[in-house]
Amino acid sequence: MISAVAFIAVAIVLCAAAVMAIFGITNVAMSGPKAIENDGLHRGLAAPAWSLPDSSGRILVSPSTKPFQLMVFTDHSLKSFPSVVDGLKILAGQTADLEIIVLLAQDNAAAVGVLRLLGLGDLPVVTGTPALYGRYNVRVTPFVIFVDSAGRVRASSLVNHEWQIMKLWRLANIPLSPDPVSRARRFPGGRQPAGVV
Amino acid sequence: MDVLVLGAKAALAVMLLVAGGAKLADLTGFAAVVRLFIPLRGLAPAYKYLATTVAVAEVILGSASLSFPAVEWINLVVLAAGCAFAAVSVVGFARHRGKSCRCFGALSRRTFDVPGILRGALIAAFAAVATVGVSGPAVRLGVPAQILLLAAAVLVLAVSFTAAKALAAVPQARSR
Repeated sequence: MISAVAFIAVAIVLCAAAVMAIFGITNVAMSGPKAIENDGLHRGLAAPAWSLPDSSGRILVSPSTKPFQLMVFTDHSLKSFPSVVDGLKILAGQTADLEIIVLLAQDNAAAVGVLRLLGLGDLPVVTGTPALYGRYNVRVTPFVIFVDSAGRVRASSLVNHEWQIMKLWRLANIPLSPDPVSRARRFPGGRQPAGVV
Repeated sequence: MDVLVLGAKAALAVMLLVAGGAKLADLTGFAAVVRLFIPLRGLAPAYKYLATTVAVAEVILGSASLSFPAVEWINLVVLAAGCAFAAVSVVGFARHRGKSCRCFGALSRRTFDVPGILRGALIAAFAAVATVGVSGPAVRLGVPAQILLLAAAVLVLAVSFTAAKALAAVPQARSR
C-alpha cells in the first residue's frame, strides 16, 4: 500500500516536472531571434477578417475597401522607435491607396495620447485583443502587416526603422502569384517565403 | 530502495511518453533517422510507418508502465526498449556520428555522440532497476489512481506533442 502511494506521488511529481521542463524548453526556444523571425503571417496567406470600432467610435473593417491596409501592431512604446514613426508619417502622406490602422493588443488610453504627441493622431486606433494578435501571429512590437483588399497578406515584419517600412511597402505592391498551389509546392511543407525585411 | 525503484520506473514511463509524443509531432524527421538504420531502397515508403509504429509503441508502453505498475511483464518490455535505445546509441555513434538522433523529436537536437551512449546506458540501467526490488502486488493501484495516472500521461503526451510541433516550425531555434 505504501509502495502504491509512493509510486503515485513520484509519478505525479515527475509528470509535473516533465511538463514544466517542456514549457521551459519551448519558452526559451520560441523567445529566440530565429523564432521571432517567423512571427507574423507569410505573404499570400489570408489575414484575419474583423470589424472593430476605433477610438472615435467609427467602425473599421479588415480587409479594407482601399487597395491596401497597413496594420501597425504597437502601443505607447512606439515613442521609442522614432524612425518607425517617420516611416508611418511618410506612408500616410504619400499614398491614398493605403489605410493605416494602429492595432493595440488591449485597452491602452496612454497609447492614443502618445500617438497624438508623435504626430500620428490622425491614424485610427483600434483596441484589439491578445487573441487577435495571436491570429496575426504577432508577439513582439512594433510589427507591421500589409493586407490587400482581398484579405491576403502582402508583407509582414517586425520593424525598427523607416527603411524597413518603405521596403515592405514596395514588397506589398508586388502582385501575388496567381497560383498559390504551385508556390506551395516550391516550398517544402507548403510554407511560403516570408515577406520579411 | 523502494522509492529509487519506483522513481526509476516512473521516470522511464514519463520519458517514453515525452519521447513518443515528440516523435509523433515530427514523424518525417524521425523517419529520416529510421532510414539511417535501415537503408533499404525497397523500404522507402515504409519509413514513416515504421517511425509511427516506434512512436506509438513508446506512448503505449509509457502509459501502461505509468498506469499499471503492478504488471511486471511491462517492466521487462521497458527493459528491452531501454537496451534497444542503448544499442541504437552505440550503432548511431559508430555509423552516424554527429547526426541528430531525433530521440525527442524537435524538443532536442541531441546527436549520436559519447554522452548519447552514456544516456542510453543510463536508461537501460534505470530499466533494469525498475524490474527488481518491488513486487507487483505491492504497487497494485485502484481504478481511480489508474485513471489519475492515465490522465497525467495524457497531459504529458499532449504537452510534448504540442511543444514539439511548435518547435518543429522553427528549425533553427530548437533547444539542445
